[in-house]
Amino acid sequence: MSGKSRRPVIVAVVAILLCGGISARLQALRDSMPLSTTDDETLYLTERATSRVVFTHRSLASDLYWIRAIQYFGGRSRIVREHQAEGFEPPASIAAPVSFDQLYPLLDVATTLDPRFNIAYRFGAIFLSARDPEGPGRPDLAVRLLEKGLQTAPEKWQYWHDIGFVYYWSARDYRKASEAFQRGADLPGAPWWLRSLAATMLVRGGDRVTSRLLWRQLYETANNDYARVAAQTKLLQLDAIDRMEQLQALVDRAAARAGGPVTSWRELEAMGVARGVPVDPANIPYTLLPTGRVALSEQSPLFPLPLEPDAGPRQ
Amino acid sequence: MRTLFWIAINGFREAVRDKVMYSLVAFAILLILASYVIAQLTAGQDVKILKDLGLSSIAVFGLFMAIFIGIGLVSKEVERRSIYALLAKPMRRSDLVLGKYFGLVLTLLVNVGIMTAALYAVLAYLGWHESESEKLALDAALLDPALLKAVALTLVQLMIVTATAIFFSTFSTPILSAALTFGVYVAGFFSTDLRNFDQVVESPVVRTMARALYHVLPNLSSFDVTAQVVHGVPVSWKYMAVTIAYGFTYIAILLIMSVTIFSRRDFK
Amino acid sequence: MALAIETIELTKDYAVGFWRKRPRRALDRLSLQVEAGEVFGFLGPNGAGKTTTLKLLLQLVFPTSGEARILGRPPGDLDAKRRLGYLPENPYFYDYLTAEELLTYFGGLLGLDALERRKRVSTLLDEVGIGSERRLQLRKFSKGMLQRVGIAQALLNEPDLVILDEPMSGLDPLGRRDVRKLILKLRDRGCTVFFSSHVLSDAESLCSRVAILAKGRLVASGRLSEILAFGIRGWELVVANISDEILTRYAPRISRAQPIGGGRFALELPADASPEQLLLDLTARGGQLVSLNPLRETLEDFFVEQVEQQR
Repeated sequence: MSGKSRRPVIVAVVAILLCGGISARLQALRDSMPLSTTDDETLYLTERATSRVVFTHRSLASDLYWIRAIQYFGGRSRIVREHQAEGFEPPASIAAPVSFDQLYPLLDVATTLDPRFNIAYRFGAIFLSARDPEGPGRPDLAVRLLEKGLQTAPEKWQYWHDIGFVYYWSARDYRKASEAFQRGADLPGAPWWLRSLAATMLVRGGDRVTSRLLWRQLYETANNDYARVAAQTKLLQLDAIDRMEQLQALVDRAAARAGGPVTSWRELEAMGVARGVPVDPANIPYTLLPTGRVALSEQSPLFPLPLEPDAGPRQ
Repeated sequence: MRTLFWIAINGFREAVRDKVMYSLVAFAILLILASYVIAQLTAGQDVKILKDLGLSSIAVFGLFMAIFIGIGLVSKEVERRSIYALLAKPMRRSDLVLGKYFGLVLTLLVNVGIMTAALYAVLAYLGWHESESEKLALDAALLDPALLKAVALTLVQLMIVTATAIFFSTFSTPILSAALTFGVYVAGFFSTDLRNFDQVVESPVVRTMARALYHVLPNLSSFDVTAQVVHGVPVSWKYMAVTIAYGFTYIAILLIMSVTIFSRRDFK
Repeated sequence: MALAIETIELTKDYAVGFWRKRPRRALDRLSLQVEAGEVFGFLGPNGAGKTTTLKLLLQLVFPTSGEARILGRPPGDLDAKRRLGYLPENPYFYDYLTAEELLTYFGGLLGLDALERRKRVSTLLDEVGIGSERRLQLRKFSKGMLQRVGIAQALLNEPDLVILDEPMSGLDPLGRRDVRKLILKLRDRGCTVFFSSHVLSDAESLCSRVAILAKGRLVASGRLSEILAFGIRGWELVVANISDEILTRYAPRISRAQPIGGGRFALELPADASPEQLLLDLTARGGQLVSLNPLRETLEDFFVEQVEQQR
């Protein structure tokens, strides 16, 4: 177009890119020195005050608190896992020790604002029961949250199922777990296997078969990625534990023959006991500790293994 | 240069004579005074609440002013065609955009100054009535000069919003500019959540998108140090400097884009 | 002879439509020359492209192709803008300013110092006929008064070239007369006046040259006298004290006779007839001459004819 030269635009674009680069660096710099937060920063008002103040957009507000809850939990969880990998060097942003104090209040507000907030109840319970240090390790709060959900929606057998789950996996109270499964099974529309779970609880509570059954149920009924992935991981971890027991048996036998601890797979191969290096379900090789115990590699995505109900010390 | 000065001064005069502006400032002061009353109802927490409400009022009213006048600066002129006579005078189009921007910044400075003075006045009045022991129990001094740090950052935040309003108004109608500016403001407040996405989300595509969006949108929540200042938690000068520098860089980008667009468009 | 305004094949296309943009040609290869010191009329019906041309000259819009020079410089040149004044069509200024404040503001933008500013503002407001109203906010001004303010702001820098878009719009007959006088005064001062209008009578009385635009194209330009056929198409003779009977006697020499009351008749005579002879004959019979005027083709006739051709 005549009358308009291209040059000013080129200069402008260059200037903008330059400023953009500077701006990004400044942001990174600023983010590396965040303000020390006061704890009630994430929860500005108490639960009752919030529900009174927020009369419109309650649903939206509940979503916001839920998102905050996820980020609160997810962020801290990840940092804890990073600690474990690196060796407990807390970053400047989170003062040690990592606390999950705000998690229940956040979930409480979200579910008060929206009493039918299904995933807040269900996943909130999972987060709350996640074991310390990856989570708050509060199965009591998890149950309390789910019971709150049942007040509004007593027909939800899923909440009873989740309560049972919490009692089984986190609190290891098999009697209460069974009761919960039974209450759920009594509700109309409940699946048949709830009752069998209730029965199994009483008889065999605490073995790997039941664990697998529960996680498989969750894997198949989950309607979002997070749950499916978590369930799948747990299943693979259980597979790994099985495999490790088999390997351990092999190794122990070989050690007995060799007269001392076997400390490498090559040794086993040489003895003709194993062929190649065994890998876990994530295709990472198992390690042999100097004590002669088979362990999951720390590089594996399945690390660390969950503490099983009534299982031995963590590997 | 001289034309820039004249346009800025005239922009200030336009804002000052605007009835809506007056109402906003008056309302803000009223709210600050009212927060004194509200604060009295919550025994013990009154200073915190007063400071919280006061600083928030300044931010919110400042926002309305920034958007409202910001869009009027260019959009309204173009719509009403008063820009024709103006551009026929010996000035560059860039002078007009920048002059308007600085005029508005001047207006914001004055208004925020007035509101801050009102807040300090109310705090002083409160202090008049409180005993020494009560004052000692406070997290932060009543007439804490750190409040000014919060106000300063709020001011820079408002300057970003204004620059955004001017940017949109170089090419769209007043109403659309207002809506878009407000949208960017809201998004800017949640931009920290965007950064946290990669702590929660696994998909690398979403993570990259979120990160890109994080840098494109202005990170406005980092200018909000109300929580810190009210509880007497120190805000370092380094933080102030870096955040303000970030703000200015972002403003520069917006102004460059505004000037470029404005200099090349047709005025139908 | 220096050219105040020159355009060479100046063209402007606008993109119309939301999805597939089709170009609409608002101005098609306009080539125009305005000499310094003359009063130039830029005429055409609404939508012909007059305002587009003015905007192109002031760089309010950018051309699709072609060139323009204003006071020898490209459009948008700051030096050129310092020496020109512009009155937009239906001007709107700032509601909240008074007339005085507006002119002072513009004076500041033009780089006038405080003393000079005050003097010129006062003089100009007097010249355009704004008295004590100058201290009222512009929101209280009528259309006509705004037009006067508009003219005043166009003359603030004592320009060499004044561009006026529909300067007579919104003015009552007195106002129009004032503007006409002003334009002539500007011309006498050596200023070039370029104005667009669709009121042809103003052009006829003021301009030395005109250009006629229709549908974006230049259909005619040149001296007014050249454009209008110098030919006379007839005469109009108004006589009094004539009876019907006498008229009937001279009927063959009269194209049309119109009684206009009071015993007077307006007689239309063909071009080839010599009106003096008929006049002598009628006065010999007791008639009284009221007026005798040649009927020339008017600018309006020419205008309509040209525009019709464009349809």
